[in-house]
Amino acid sequence: MIEVNGLKKRFGDNIVLDGVDLKINKGDVIAIIGPSGTGKSTLLRCIDRLEKPEEGSLIIDELKVNLNKASRKDLIAIRKKTAMVFQNWNLFSKKTALQNVMEGLIVVKKTDKEKAKKIAEEQLKRVGLSDHANHYPRHLSGGQQQRVAIARALAMEPDLLLLDEPTSALDPELVGEVLETILKVAQEGYTMLLVSHEMNFVRKVATRVVFMENGHILEEGTPKEIFGNPKNERVKEFIHKIELFNEPEYII
Amino acid sequence: MEAKDLFDVNLVFTNIPDILRFLPVTLELAFGAMAFSLIFGLIIALIRIKRVRVLSQIAAVFISVIRGTPILVQLYVTYYGIPMFLKYLNLKYGTAYNINNVPAILYAFVALAINESAFNAEIIRASLQSVDKGQIEAAQSLGMTYLQVLKRIILPEAIEVALPSLGNSFIGLIKGTSLAFTCAVVEMTAQGKILAGRNFRYFETYISLAIIYWVITIVVENTIKVIEKKIRIPDQVTGTVRDGEKA
Repeated sequence: MIEVNGLKKRFGDNIVLDGVDLKINKGDVIAIIGPSGTGKSTLLRCIDRLEKPEEGSLIIDELKVNLNKASRKDLIAIRKKTAMVFQNWNLFSKKTALQNVMEGLIVVKKTDKEKAKKIAEEQLKRVGLSDHANHYPRHLSGGQQQRVAIARALAMEPDLLLLDEPTSALDPELVGEVLETILKVAQEGYTMLLVSHEMNFVRKVATRVVFMENGHILEEGTPKEIFGNPKNERVKEFIHKIELFNEPEYII
Repeated sequence: MEAKDLFDVNLVFTNIPDILRFLPVTLELAFGAMAFSLIFGLIIALIRIKRVRVLSQIAAVFISVIRGTPILVQLYVTYYGIPMFLKYLNLKYGTAYNINNVPAILYAFVALAINESAFNAEIIRASLQSVDKGQIEAAQSLGMTYLQVLKRIILPEAIEVALPSLGNSFIGLIKGTSLAFTCAVVEMTAQGKILAGRNFRYFETYISLAIIYWVITIVVENTIKVIEKKIRIPDQVTGTVRDGEKA
């Protein structure tokens, strides 16, 4: 059971998160949707404590942390239980794909090298990149880099996987392979919190959808509820706008 | 006296072995000061980046003073300052440090190392800050502490950025050791002066010195180029087959 309570974050005068509460059950795949600049990414970054919120607490099983007053030890504890996949991949450019996946295992989990290598190879196989283990990030396409980043996150066996717009920076052609990988991971039962603008994908992968705007959660429900029958006026408008493009151009 | 006696070409080359006897002193000074300056420079750079209170301000003043005064003056200041400081300790606390026991090379080492630290601190700071923030965040999100991130992610990348500038700075330092004679250290330049003092062939001796320093610099330049090439990520992938290519 993972719980975020009363999360508040502001950048200067700009209030980005205004008291967000979120409950995540084990095995949930929660997709956060909504217009740009409404704090979706910031929510993820606050959970991983890459941003320091003004208020809010995080509970992951027995770990309970005040996100504003978290000690260094707490930070490490949170980050060990979570793993993040970034919009821009952020692979370590000086390390090969395999070394990228091994890094956390060796440095943080203190796994011995042989075992770490084995785990890393398995993870790369899972994302379909066994052939590319010796490639440096600069030798990989965006989609491949993002799949390595997913493997790197999964190798840490996180209780919660955070995915921050994992396909927004990719060429349209490469989006598919990454989404396929995420779908596969979701089906294996990982608990995930996903920020995405790929609505068709969200519909397919999410067990729950959260609509956020201006630092508030306006509505949450199953994909069917949110996309099929939203209650909130603003959500209705948003869904309507994105559905416009999904309708056929003309019907005979 | 004939015109051809004005410049003794042979002497330029016969001088070189005599001067090279003191190459170890020059190299000791250069490598020693460089090693010290890399460690001390890194510490100063981290203090500046992390904006450690008080220490950060002290570091800024330190860099400003060292960069704003000539190395020659700094050598004289250490040469006269360290004995004075020891004398002060002796008088104040009744200790019995013998100033004459301080080897001359130590003065030169202190001055050169501190001077080099100030310059390298800025090079190191700039290179550390050039590392992509995203990679640092990625490392932190794996659960690494700052020291682990620094060691595993930031430094390996920063070294590639810093290397050309540090190489330049090291070449400057090697030539800077030629000022150590002001602290009564006999290194190559001082030895050259001693040799020339015997036969008054100063011009030839300085030409010999110029050749030696130039060759050393060429060796250092090329070594750095080799290292640069070694730590650069190769253009081509090795060991595996890329998609669509035949094995």
